[in-house]
Amino acid sequence: MFGGMFGGGGGSQKPAQPAGMGGMPGMGMGQGQGQMDPNAQLAAAEQEMEMVTDMFARLGELCNKKCLIQRYADDELTKAESVCIDRCVAKYFQVNREVTDKLAKISQANQQ
Amino acid sequence: MYNNFGPSYQEQRLQQLMEQKQLRDFMRMYTNLVARCFDDCVTEFTSNKLGDKELTCVSRCAQKNMKLNERVGQRFGEENAKLMEEQARLGR
Repeated sequence: MFGGMFGGGGGSQKPAQPAGMGGMPGMGMGQGQGQMDPNAQLAAAEQEMEMVTDMFARLGELCNKKCLIQRYADDELTKAESVCIDRCVAKYFQVNREVTDKLAKISQANQQ
Repeated sequence: MYNNFGPSYQEQRLQQLMEQKQLRDFMRMYTNLVARCFDDCVTEFTSNKLGDKELTCVSRCAQKNMKLNERVGQRFGEENAKLMEEQARLGR
């Protein structure tokens, strides 16, 4: 059931990324970060996991609220609901990008 | 057994963390689902047993929400992969 959640996010094959960079979701903690303190590495990986699953839970909640309007007329997802869910997730990620970029710009401006 | 902080220890530990996390998240999802279906389907208390309408509603609610989670999970994975790719390209 949760297999699909991390499925597309990749794992150890992805290029190693600095922990917490940009505050973006995704399992970027690849192997080969030998320079980092192992404890800090584990903590960072755990934090990233936490963030991803939190985002997933929120996404489920929000898309439920916005897309399942007809309260349980039947037990399959209708075509309209399915399409809505797809778009809901896509837009959520777009909002994520926009907000991240904006925050980066603001903090950059603050440092000058 | 494993020397501390060797790479296999890391992998093991991470695997452990992931499993624990998935279990916790499953439990959370389950309790949220119950609460949601109760909230959406149980609207009156003229009896202390669920009526037929309520039973049907609860059944559909559970089914529908599980399907929704599944679909969100699929799209999430795809979008996340896209995001990771973008980040890798931007070198963030």
